[in-house]
Amino acid sequence: MTESTIGIVRRSQIPTKLITISGIILVILAILPLILGEFQTSLLSKLLLFGTLAVSLDLVWGYTGILSFAHGVFFTLGGYAMAYYLKLNLSAAGNTYGVDLPDFMVWNGLTELPWFIAPLKFFPIAAIAMVAVPAIFAYLIGEFIFRSKVSGVYITIITLAISSALTTFFISQQAYTGGTNGITDVSRLSILGLEISLNGLYWMILLFTAAVLAASYWLTQSNFGLILRSIKENENRISYLGYDVASFKIFIWTLSAGIAGIAGGLFVPLNRFISPVYLAVAFGTQVVIWVAIGGRGTLIGPVIAAILLGQIQNYAERVTQDWQLVVGILLLIVVVFIPDGLVGTVSKVFKKSY
Amino acid sequence: MNPILSTKNLQVEFSGFKALKGVDLEVGEREIVTIIGPNGAGKSTLLDAIVSKSPVAAGKVYYQGKDITNKNPYEIARMGIGRKFQNPNVYNELTVFENILLALKGTHGIFDSITAKLTQTKRNKIIDVLDRIGLLDYAATPVSSLSHGQKQWVEIGMVIAQDPAVVLLDEPTAGMTPEETYMTGEIIKSLVHNHSVVAIEHDMEFVKQIAERIVVLHQGEKLAEGSVQEIQNNSKVIEVYLGREKIDVAATT
Repeated sequence: MTESTIGIVRRSQIPTKLITISGIILVILAILPLILGEFQTSLLSKLLLFGTLAVSLDLVWGYTGILSFAHGVFFTLGGYAMAYYLKLNLSAAGNTYGVDLPDFMVWNGLTELPWFIAPLKFFPIAAIAMVAVPAIFAYLIGEFIFRSKVSGVYITIITLAISSALTTFFISQQAYTGGTNGITDVSRLSILGLEISLNGLYWMILLFTAAVLAASYWLTQSNFGLILRSIKENENRISYLGYDVASFKIFIWTLSAGIAGIAGGLFVPLNRFISPVYLAVAFGTQVVIWVAIGGRGTLIGPVIAAILLGQIQNYAERVTQDWQLVVGILLLIVVVFIPDGLVGTVSKVFKKSY
Repeated sequence: MNPILSTKNLQVEFSGFKALKGVDLEVGEREIVTIIGPNGAGKSTLLDAIVSKSPVAAGKVYYQGKDITNKNPYEIARMGIGRKFQNPNVYNELTVFENILLALKGTHGIFDSITAKLTQTKRNKIIDVLDRIGLLDYAATPVSSLSHGQKQWVEIGMVIAQDPAVVLLDEPTAGMTPEETYMTGEIIKSLVHNHSVVAIEHDMEFVKQIAERIVVLHQGEKLAEGSVQEIQNNSKVIEVYLGREKIDVAATT
């Protein structure tokens, strides 16, 4: 009996082939902004962040079977943390009213900075908040929904409700959140007094995406990943083997929200604003679509789908206002004909032919 | 006898319907207890109540002297009670090896599972289990492509890997050929060297192969208890269960 005949070497082997291919792709992607124009570099940066957001959803949906429409919420919470930081660090010259208060607060009659926003003026605090706020928020929701008897589609409905409720809440709290407009005209991102260029931002984002993909791959290949897949297939059975299913779900849910939060935080210096648009169900659905089209449980699939669809949107938008129709049709095709998604289907065909 | 597992006046209700009406069960160390009874007698419900799959309305479940009534299923599993379900409840999308790996006794925390390495000891333990259930050659096969009988063995293998002090088996031979049934009986008999076993069975031949002590349930109550001989000669049992089966057999021949 050799090791390969019992098929158990997968986890203990270092995937050299995978590392080589990923390394080559990473180098190509790193060189790209030197060739591409500013517009494409900026677009690609955004799409990489959307892709990473989709990876975070893939961990909970593709691997664990929890369909969430609330990942846009986690993304946006991280985004607001960064937006407050950038807004509060506008130089006096950049601040329309010359007072040490963001413009939207002045318009809404605030005279001083609310105590819960003030600490975000400091980068380390803002950076921590970017992860911690969405993660803690997710953890609290997770404790509530995963420890209760709620399951399946009802959890999905709760995520829809969270998304709607938060959208309404952020719009209503205009003095603190900037309402429908959100936080606009933020400063550029500087670290240690050094302003980060677009290319610098792109490289940071690329590094972040690569790190999230690598960590997610490592995680899903471990016993932990095996447990997630078991929860997806039949969560009751595994509890009779001694696993506390709720803890596993809460952990991956919280981790996923933290990743989404960082993606949102990095999105703001690029996008130059954040608004409740990203809290809304429409954006949450977009994330679900990226994962569905790219392939659930493939990690790289959602990133590819986000980039592809973003590019399609970019060109379709110039031709027609109804570009979302194109995305809708694509989604239908995928759901009906290739339920495993692009990468899922390709890898299945690839496996079969060997 | 100092029982390792016992139930006292165990009652289970499903929206008004009393599925168990106060059952006392005692399982000794390294003993095989076989539960028989007609459909709807409450056999599976009894096992479900022990592992907290069905909520206990009244009465108690004791394991090693501790009250485990309505504890979390995963806590009961960790304490040392393993369960095999009626229909093979295995992971079709995983390989046979992965199914056994999941079940393997050990710490089941989050961080342990992230850092866990497949050590030689674990590997050997899994290979040993696969060998016992006769599926060594199928280690890398997805469970979905196995036969029904093989899936039953995978789940028995999971219970063996879990290495619980008490093994609860719900119709382990359902859907098996006579040869497979016999092999399953031998696996179960080998379990008793270091486990207590509670098995639900319909197949009387199989019951005779493995049984030491039989408990007969009928309409949520214990009807009789005793050796194979005693049960076969018990007039109440003959009336509600065995008799009917004899009539069935007579009718079909």
